[in-house]
Amino acid sequence: MSAAAAGKVDGGPAKDKTDPFRNKNELKASKKAAKRSRGSSHYRPKAPTELTQLPPLKDAATDQQELFVKKLQQCCVVFDFSDPVSDVKSKEIKRTCLNELVEYVTVTRGVLQDATYPEIIRMIACNIFRTLPPSDNPDFDPEEDDPTLEASWPHLQFVYEFFLRVLESPDFQPSVAKKYIDQRFVLQLLELFDSEDPRERDFLKTVLHRIYGKFLGLRAFIRKQINNIFLRFIYQTEQFNGVGELLEILGSIINGFALPLKAEHKQFLVKVLLPLHKAKSLGMFHAQLAYCVVQFLEKDATLTEQVVRGLLKFWPRTVSSKEVMYLGEMEEIMDVMEPGQFEKIMVPLFKQIAKSVSSSHFQVAERALFFWNNEYVTQLIEENNAVIMPILFPSFYRISREHWNQTIVALVYNVLKSFMEMNSKLFDELTNAYKAERQKERKREKDREDLLKKFEHLHIK
Amino acid sequence: MTATDSANEALYPIAVLIDELRNEDVQLRLNSVKKLSTIALALGVERTRTELIPFLTDTIYDEDEVLLTLAEQLGTFIPLVGGDQFAHVLLPPLESLATVEETVVRDKAVESLRKLAASHSPADLEAHFVPLVRRLANGDWFTSRTSACGLFSVCYERVGAAVKQQLRQHFSNLCTDDTPMVRRAAAGKIGELAQVVEPEFVRSELLPMFKQLMADEQDSVRLLAVESAVILARLLGPEDTDKLMMKSLRSAVDDKSWRVRYMVADKLTELQSALGAELTQRYLVEAFQALLKDPEAEVRAVSASKVRDFCVNLEASEAERTNIALNSILPAVKDLAGDANQHVKSALASVVMGLSPLLGKEHTVEQLLPLFLTQLKDECPEVRLNIISNLEAVNSVIGIKQLSMSLLPAIVELAEDSKWRVRLAIIQYMPLLASQLGSQFFDEKLNQLCMGWLVDHVFAIREAAVLNLRKLVEAFGSDWALSTVIPKVAELAVDTNYLHRMVCLFCVTELNSACPPDMVRAHLLPIVLKMASDTVPNVRFKVAQTLQQLAASFDAEVFEQQVKPCLDSLAGDADIDVQFFACEALEAIREKF
Repeated sequence: MSAAAAGKVDGGPAKDKTDPFRNKNELKASKKAAKRSRGSSHYRPKAPTELTQLPPLKDAATDQQELFVKKLQQCCVVFDFSDPVSDVKSKEIKRTCLNELVEYVTVTRGVLQDATYPEIIRMIACNIFRTLPPSDNPDFDPEEDDPTLEASWPHLQFVYEFFLRVLESPDFQPSVAKKYIDQRFVLQLLELFDSEDPRERDFLKTVLHRIYGKFLGLRAFIRKQINNIFLRFIYQTEQFNGVGELLEILGSIINGFALPLKAEHKQFLVKVLLPLHKAKSLGMFHAQLAYCVVQFLEKDATLTEQVVRGLLKFWPRTVSSKEVMYLGEMEEIMDVMEPGQFEKIMVPLFKQIAKSVSSSHFQVAERALFFWNNEYVTQLIEENNAVIMPILFPSFYRISREHWNQTIVALVYNVLKSFMEMNSKLFDELTNAYKAERQKERKREKDREDLLKKFEHLHIK
Repeated sequence: MTATDSANEALYPIAVLIDELRNEDVQLRLNSVKKLSTIALALGVERTRTELIPFLTDTIYDEDEVLLTLAEQLGTFIPLVGGDQFAHVLLPPLESLATVEETVVRDKAVESLRKLAASHSPADLEAHFVPLVRRLANGDWFTSRTSACGLFSVCYERVGAAVKQQLRQHFSNLCTDDTPMVRRAAAGKIGELAQVVEPEFVRSELLPMFKQLMADEQDSVRLLAVESAVILARLLGPEDTDKLMMKSLRSAVDDKSWRVRYMVADKLTELQSALGAELTQRYLVEAFQALLKDPEAEVRAVSASKVRDFCVNLEASEAERTNIALNSILPAVKDLAGDANQHVKSALASVVMGLSPLLGKEHTVEQLLPLFLTQLKDECPEVRLNIISNLEAVNSVIGIKQLSMSLLPAIVELAEDSKWRVRLAIIQYMPLLASQLGSQFFDEKLNQLCMGWLVDHVFAIREAAVLNLRKLVEAFGSDWALSTVIPKVAELAVDTNYLHRMVCLFCVTELNSACPPDMVRAHLLPIVLKMASDTVPNVRFKVAQTLQQLAASFDAEVFEQQVKPCLDSLAGDADIDVQFFACEALEAIREKF
């Protein structure tokens, strides 16, 4: 009453333009504008020397290779990009030089001689290896915020490009390069996957993939280090930008695993890939993760039970958007599931599905109900209806009467109808038993409560 | 009822609870685990040892939440299994819990194991605890090895020399483990272990491990080693630290990873006290200068926040300390005041005033005041706020006169700052300024501001302004109130904005306690009574509430003649809330007379 009256009399003090209660998005927008202009690369350069332009490679008649090495050495000088006006001339010289190097290794044969490998790798290492700067935005939301882009990208891009061309060159000899592209090198490369700049991560992905393909001796090491990165991500920091890219590489690695699967690989699935589902930022890499999981199951169907139980263990309790992803992955898994495996896990699985369908978040309920649009899944359900119907029936029956969302009610109604057609005798039994079951359940709950009360009493005594 | 009957009845719920430990519903299992100590109590020590604990050991494959509670409970279970000599029966379930994947569960299990270690006799430690540490340290999966790292220091001291040697060997293996997570855990615990290891082995065995960790390829390992460095340096004493550790420490100041440098800066004052005066002056002053100029803002910010503590902790003669602060630290500090990063500036602003007592009056005026002025005008409100909130320290050195002369213009400007938190900080500083400047000076320069805040558009400011007013009246006396404050309050009573009229009533309530009763009766009461016919119900019920609070200042006669008629009419108001508060006030005042 009085509040309403108060509102009528006065509209409140004039709205100040600098109102401190600005909404979050406004603030975010202003912060973002300031941030984007800042550089993200923080080298500790030792006062870069001024570069002098070397003659173009194509003009050098005899000692082209010597000039090539000189140019590589010149490109080892690293500039500070956080200051856009410093060393403008030298930066431009380096940029053209890098550009020329890329072209040179692409079109010229015989560039990669034994003696040039160390120079090439040194130039690459000087430029790309650095400690990544702290994130400007500690509560970075990948879906809302723009990533901070790498300030030195005008140079980095060419360095990565050059690296790729070298790796892909027909002259490239892993047996020589392995002296320089060693475990230490790979380890530093992997740390870079935490870069916030998606362009850099994309290059890294291709580079690492090539290295994995060409250096057989490094494969086990690379897998182990990726393992460590993931474990650190899951159990310690929850922060690593390149999880999706690494998973993408792993997807194709898993694809190439020989059968039967080694214990090491199975352990990776159970102890690393499945716990990755726990991550808060699952949305950033779920598609790649689900792909890896399904790859494993296609290789070895006997892993099905472990995987499904693992997912059920980590099933999200509160985050609806994650639950939708889990349901999607579960459908992908069921798509490749053999009937024998299905029977092993259908009871716990459908208990969860019954819960998901009962979710008051309609997207969760809807996603679970979409299972019935999948022919293979419905076929599996039908084959096992004697087990599955009793699990699902109580929730479905209740939802068909109680759910707030009409779409859900309609979908549930359709499923119930299909149950009726599947096994009308069982359906009738379940309908008749429903009320009695509910009553029994209520009684059980009451008994438990009474008991707890008694227990409290005992405790006090 | 016989004794056995009642015993059975007592045990029945226990049976059900144990049953619930297997229930499908996590919440029910959780409830049951939380009652574990009661279950054990009811079972008795014998059955707890022989039945409950083995049952728990066998059924560990539950939800992390249940496991966490279990790990926590088991740490307090010694009395329930029959005292210290049975403590070891609790080890098997905790050993399993120390190997699970989830970090919080593992950490809790380790915490409980550490508690239990203290209750083991030396013989039990060797027979039960050390083998457990050995198994964990040799575990296949990194989780058990990580957990093992935290258990060495709690059993080392009380075992025989041969076992000690084994333990050191195991720890050394963990320091060079393949998995970075394990090395991290070892780096974090090496300092703690050093505290219980014999000095000769600290030098001959732990120091080499420490140096290796300080040079680890992973920065996350190196930075934890920095933390342990503080303890190690303290144990070794300045002379040995200089000889044995200084090289590692100096490389950490210069580490290529900002995380490591950050950690050094963060631990700087602790390192300072561990290293002692001489090493600090030889190395740390220079290191600190470098950290204050670090290319990474994060590092500069944490360094800036240590400026005061570092200077205060310098163990040197006063002259020498002033000299270091003035010549080595202050130049870097001046640069930071103009840093591009606002976190750096704000960290500096929160401590920089603390330098003033160290430097003395003359240097403060010469060196620091210009710095404060720059920061007071900083574009970032947090910087301004931090400076204002710490004026106190400077005040005590150079005196309020000098402070206000130089800072007053800036303060006046901030009083109208667009960020209300800044305005709030200024208001809170007003009573102090007022009491030291005297009423004349105050009236000239600041009065206008204080009155202006009463009609600020942010409630927190209006509220603070009212409280400020009371404090001012307490400082300047009732005559000042009569001449300066009450006219303003009367003005607010007829303001067109009802929020301002509300402020008027807040003022009356506050002034009531600061003014003598006759003044309240003569000047404040009439204002309130007049407002009883306000058009806004909120104002009218505030009138009722205010009258109730003024009751201390008037007698029965005034009540009967002036206040009661007013409240009576409000009690018959059309608005239900006004009626309520009017009746409440009437009742309260009646009780009084």
